[in-house]
Amino acid sequence: MRLLRYFLFRLLQMFPIALFIVVINFALIHMAPGDVSILLAGEGADPQYMEEVRQRYGLDLPLYQQLGAYIGQLLQGDLGLSFRTREPVIGIIAERIPATLLLAGTALVLASVLGVIIGAVMARRPGSAMDTAVTTLSISLFSIPVFWLGLMLILLFAVTLRWLPSSGMVSIAGPREGIGYILDVAMHMILPVLSLSAIWLGQYVRLSRASVSETLAEPYVTTARAIGFPERRVMSRFALRNAMLPIVTVLGLELGLLLSGAVLTETVFSWPGLGRLIYEAILSRDTPVIMGAFLIMSFTVMLAALLTDLLYAALDPRVRL
Amino acid sequence: MTPGLAKTVRGTLRSLPGALSLTVLAVIVAAALLAPVLGLPDPAEMAFDLYQSPNADHWLGTDNFGRDIFARVVWGARVALVVAIGAALLSILIGSVLGAVAGYFGGWIDGLLSRVFDIFLLIPTFFLILLIVALFGASLPLTIVAIALTTWPRSARLMRSQVLTLKSRVYVQAALAAGASHWWVIVRHVIPNGIAPIITDGTILMGMAILTEAGLSFLGLGDQNLVSWGGMIFEGQRHLRLAPWMSIAPGVALLLLVASLNLLGDSINFAMNPQLRTRGGAPKARTRVAPPANEPEPTAETPILEVEDLRLVYTAGDRKIAAVDGVSFSLPRGGALGIVGESGCGKSSLGSALLQTMPNNAELTSGTIRYDGKAIVLNGKPVAEKGRSRIDALRWTRMATIFQSAMNALNPVTTVRRQMMDALRLHKPGIGKEEAAARIGEVFDMIGIPRSRMNAYPHQLSGGMRQRAMIALSLILEPELVIADEPTTALDMLIQDQILGEIADLRERLNLSLILVSHDMGAVAESCETVAVMYAGRIVEIAPTRRIFDRPAHPYTRTLIGALPSLTGPLEDLASLPATDTEAAASATGCRFAHACPAATDLCRAQVPPAVDLGDGHVSECHYAEDFAAEAADPQEARA
Ligand code: SF4
Repeated sequence: MRLLRYFLFRLLQMFPIALFIVVINFALIHMAPGDVSILLAGEGADPQYMEEVRQRYGLDLPLYQQLGAYIGQLLQGDLGLSFRTREPVIGIIAERIPATLLLAGTALVLASVLGVIIGAVMARRPGSAMDTAVTTLSISLFSIPVFWLGLMLILLFAVTLRWLPSSGMVSIAGPREGIGYILDVAMHMILPVLSLSAIWLGQYVRLSRASVSETLAEPYVTTARAIGFPERRVMSRFALRNAMLPIVTVLGLELGLLLSGAVLTETVFSWPGLGRLIYEAILSRDTPVIMGAFLIMSFTVMLAALLTDLLYAALDPRVRL
Repeated sequence: MTPGLAKTVRGTLRSLPGALSLTVLAVIVAAALLAPVLGLPDPAEMAFDLYQSPNADHWLGTDNFGRDIFARVVWGARVALVVAIGAALLSILIGSVLGAVAGYFGGWIDGLLSRVFDIFLLIPTFFLILLIVALFGASLPLTIVAIALTTWPRSARLMRSQVLTLKSRVYVQAALAAGASHWWVIVRHVIPNGIAPIITDGTILMGMAILTEAGLSFLGLGDQNLVSWGGMIFEGQRHLRLAPWMSIAPGVALLLLVASLNLLGDSINFAMNPQLRTRGGAPKARTRVAPPANEPEPTAETPILEVEDLRLVYTAGDRKIAAVDGVSFSLPRGGALGIVGESGCGKSSLGSALLQTMPNNAELTSGTIRYDGKAIVLNGKPVAEKGRSRIDALRWTRMATIFQSAMNALNPVTTVRRQMMDALRLHKPGIGKEEAAARIGEVFDMIGIPRSRMNAYPHQLSGGMRQRAMIALSLILEPELVIADEPTTALDMLIQDQILGEIADLRERLNLSLILVSHDMGAVAESCETVAVMYAGRIVEIAPTRRIFDRPAHPYTRTLIGALPSLTGPLEDLASLPATDTEAAASATGCRFAHACPAATDLCRAQVPPAVDLGDGHVSECHYAEDFAAEAADPQEARA
């Protein structure tokens, strides 16, 4: 009940943000050099389609009505047509989402779980040589350009050692169903997941190291020790449980950053997800797709922020309306 | 350079990552600055020697157009640094101004701006930048502006919170009162003071900007007229099999530059807040010793707690601070001892030593603690028997503690009932659900918490109830000795009295032994028959409660009592409480209180005062203890 009310409240708060994002998008289109209709329809579109676009977005009307028309189109789920394939952008994007989810989701789970564990272990011995080494290493990890790490992994494991495939999600002549298919996808996933999670791992190790050592200095941890709880329980029940709160918050806030890593990784590995789509759209100057992708990414991040908020509220009884 | 800044710089240089990253940064900056005069081949010059692997002529090889990669990497450093510095400066400028405005003026301006900051944090900046560059055309200045336009809320938030704290400071208020205009105040006082954390964040911002530019270039949105590392990797990708060196070199350069920036930011941060590196942690393993041979069996006369010459030393950086400096006392079974002193006098450190919950930077350098005749600490070392520390066998079942609940002493994410259940189950693993529930209910009744509040979280209870919950938790396993550390601080007067009354009452009923640590003489007067006054790590006076109020034989005690108006009526001209300067006091050659003592003489400053035994368990560490005791007695007798 408490959570439901909280959820609805937060959902309401998202509307102005969504509106803000749409307005930014709208403003950018109008400020950009070149004809708005070309941006919306794509360069070299045939005159008939161009006229249709002008009609639909009310491009001959005053600006505020154009904004209205634009929002109206978006609400209908109309993100325009891809200039390249002439298909609705929303469909093209939807098609690509599962692959991105698979890649980013796997890497996220891997990195966050491992990161929290390593960070928590380091927080037990703050200032030790091991702690300093791991901190330095994790800083270096997230300083690596993710696309470059991907290339280096390809160079090592695909080109030199020939252990793993370097691109795509499935082998060209591979099985299309059953366990063979799953294994095939898994093999293709190893390198992109590795590069993506390596970078994120650095973030999570640092985050959880800071957060856990913070909670370990809290009075309730001293109480737990005075009560006589063994250190392992102190860590899990008292320190980690409380440290999860800031970790979850940052996780939600940094999702946008994570997604940008996913886009770059997909580009390197020709992974058929959203990132690859954006890359292709850039190469063919397919603006409707780029704009659509920005909107979808923004809404995804908002949704994720909403979910982490909810998770936070579930974890922390102190959150109230 | 202010001392704080100098310390930060020194701290940064002294840490290995800090020094290392600064060196790498210096090399990269030098290379970028000197690129035109280094005599390198023209980075754009094409030649016929395509795809040459690294060799003597081309240290890092050549690319698909025969261009020298080393030269391109050096020139690429310029682009990276321009992006880093340009984007960070612009972003910090926009952010600081808006953040300062929001924090300074508050009200609706702050409300609106803070909302905008929050919204920006939710926008996936990389995609926004990508969209901007895709729409407006790829160029370096545009990329820089786009990065700044999407990252400024970081600095804005930092600046806002800095301004909020600084705004209340005296000198800003003074400047305003003197009629300075708002803008002038911001520029003159607030920004220079608030800028430090923003600069730290700036290094991280620079790293982000470089990676963003590289990412854009890698997606083909880089400035075509410039040599950028991201762009080089973009080109190298297509020739990965044939000429891997094309992508390796610029990537390594990127990694070195960004990692140095991030490490530098981290080192500065740690240099500014050294405790960040060592705070918390699991309790460190301390060398344990075997119990002394032939300990006598405890009798009914054996004190429940005996402390002899206890010393506790904190290490902070290269400084050592003796928070407890030779403390001895003994508490008879069923007795109650109050330990009183100002904050920083070592009373809480003493409490943590008794409970063996000291932080890792604290060390017991000497002293013996006996619980019911058995040593639990011997010469500063915990005593272990059959592989288990003796203190662990006492925890909560025989010796429990009441912390100040206002200070988060209860786990905020667990219900009160659950916390009691966990403690109960820990020490009585076999206990049944019902029996446990009954015991918890019983304790709740005893403390006077309505059973309906059992399932509340700590934050849902009022201050007084929360403190009662803490007391209930301490009594759940029927301990013999309870150490209460400031159990009523931060509560209002009425509730304080109630709770102290309840503690005194429980003590009688349950025949508890009690140690009550407080800064307030009045608080201990009610529940303790003996009072020990601590100053700068030592017990300077100890006596039966009545006696210490009637005939305080130490000037410090008298000032403490002076701060307490009602109990025995005003004593004669009472000095206000001098602040403890523990360090100055501990390093004094004579009496530690001499620097603040109204009665100090040359003797006091030259010689450590002896412990003067005034009879009936009254001991005072003052050269003139006898005189004070006699003098204080007079008005009392006269009044009687
Ligand atoms: S010894 Fe001297 S300085 Fe110290 S408390 Fe007594 S009178 Fe004051």
